[in-house]
Amino acid sequence: MTRRSFLGRMGGTVLAVTGGAAVAAAVRPEESEAFHFCGHIWTTGSCPNPLGLPRIDRHGYPLRATDGKPIDNLGRVVNAQGYPITAAGGRMLGPDGNPLPRGPRTRLCEEWVRERFGHDARQQGSWYRCCNDQIRKLVDCCSPSRRRINGDASLTGYCWNGNRVFCVMYYESGLPC
Amino acid sequence: MVETFTPAVCGSRRRQRLALLGFGAAALVASALVGAALGLLGSVLGARLTLAAAGLALLAAAREGGLIRLPLPQARHQVPERWRAELPLPLWSTGYGAGLGAGFFTFQPVSTFWVACAAAVALGKPLVAAVCFSAYGAGRTLMAVLPRRGTDPTRAVEALVGRRRLLLRANVMALLVCAGLLIAAPVASAAITTLGPGLDPAVDATTLARAQMGSGGTSILIQPSGESDVVIPNASSPALDGDLLAYVGSAGISVIDWRTGASIAHVDGQVSKPALEWPRLAFIRTDSSYERLIVADFTDPAAPTERQIALSAVENELGRPSLSGGRIAWHKVTNRESRVFVERLNTGVRTLIARSRIALEANPSLTPLRVVWVEERSKSAALRRRRFDRPGVRTIYLTTGRTRLLWTTALTGRTAYVTRWSQITGASTLVRVTF
Repeated sequence: MTRRSFLGRMGGTVLAVTGGAAVAAAVRPEESEAFHFCGHIWTTGSCPNPLGLPRIDRHGYPLRATDGKPIDNLGRVVNAQGYPITAAGGRMLGPDGNPLPRGPRTRLCEEWVRERFGHDARQQGSWYRCCNDQIRKLVDCCSPSRRRINGDASLTGYCWNGNRVFCVMYYESGLPC
Repeated sequence: MVETFTPAVCGSRRRQRLALLGFGAAALVASALVGAALGLLGSVLGARLTLAAAGLALLAAAREGGLIRLPLPQARHQVPERWRAELPLPLWSTGYGAGLGAGFFTFQPVSTFWVACAAAVALGKPLVAAVCFSAYGAGRTLMAVLPRRGTDPTRAVEALVGRRRLLLRANVMALLVCAGLLIAAPVASAAITTLGPGLDPAVDATTLARAQMGSGGTSILIQPSGESDVVIPNASSPALDGDLLAYVGSAGISVIDWRTGASIAHVDGQVSKPALEWPRLAFIRTDSSYERLIVADFTDPAAPTERQIALSAVENELGRPSLSGGRIAWHKVTNRESRVFVERLNTGVRTLIARSRIALEANPSLTPLRVVWVEERSKSAALRRRRFDRPGVRTIYLTTGRTRLLWTTALTGRTAYVTRWSQITGASTLVRVTF
């Protein structure tokens, strides 16, 4: 258990005692790692993402951080065709008993940042770290903005063409290290 | 404190006016901000607190009437006198106004302030709550401004204290009226009402229809106001227009008179999601490659005409349409984006109501004036509302978390209905939102 998740659970327990489960739910530890995420120690913040950590596939689409399964923009695990599926692998059903249709599944940098912050953002530079015994590729989401997602001044980092780092994502290569 | 705002303490009559201005502005702003924050809290909580606020008002009335003894939660502080010595006049006067206007940092002789706080939360509308709560700041300001030139500045306060018994009685009456209004008035908390199990709401004036999942299959429950309920078995996806009901049955879409059961029209084939504004019937027709949004015109029931409004590859989704006032609304979701459209049927002019590459914008319903739809994100689902003649969009209902989602909608006047369902259990509930 990481320090953050420990503190989150401690806080949740205290609030559950004093303020009820509804309040406790608000501080339930999510998919997070201490000091931002492995290989990236609290500098530029994560790109916006469905579940809390900006894990992406090689094309920049969101993955569930815990197991690398593809998720749509609503955080639902999806199959190869993009339909939401259950833990057992079957199509997820709606309240009418019919399989749920596909939802949008778009790239965290190019679409999420563009819609939420209005920046012409794109993946550019990257660097590598060893995390959980495999090589993790850390990816800069770069934009012309002089402010990064944290709200302060942005850095050039590994961006080019006048772009600067707006937020960061990561890709698990699967290669041992 | 009021004796602070005299020419003698402030230094001159001009500085007194400056101090009063700072005090009054800060008191008004602080009280409005408190009201807005409480209203915002109410809107986030989903506003189900009207009866709790009414109960609090009754409790306060009993306390102020001397029937029960209850301590009040409060900070028994006065404004810090040293500020006058240490800070410039505009700062200390503004600070005094902000402190007293906020209400939480000073002595409260009666419990009415806390009832106002609870009512602001129950209201669930930040702007309205801010305006109402600013009356508290105005009252604070009035007590400082009221003393006339040459009179004792504490005279107004002493005059009030002299009529304390009368004031307390008036306060009790005000609290009782407040409790009555909270119980009776459809304010925001009453505006969110859970209507029991069901999905796919359809509404026409005072008649509400919904689909219900049961062990024996799906049925439609029609609930006309003041009349007994009608159940249509083996039917789903209701759409209402007066006494006419369109629904999906075992062999396509049927239109019937739900009072008499008489069959009016029928569409065969792989069709679903009907919307009805007789003689128009909209639905989705699906084949192996495409989904098509069709509007059929039954002006001549023997020879209905069909018109294709939208087309989508079958792996994408054309959503449940809505017909009203000669307009049709629907959604289209692909894995790249989601969009909600409204089209005027007589001109073919199409308006993009909502579009997102992140969120799922879906399930619109419309009236001649407004459109509502659902906006789902990874950690929340919102019922959004827009008037056709205005660009602004408002959230009128919000659920948070990943498991309580919103689904199909219906709209009549200023009342919206939405299906709320649990992704874990699959159970669905109808929620009525009056805005």
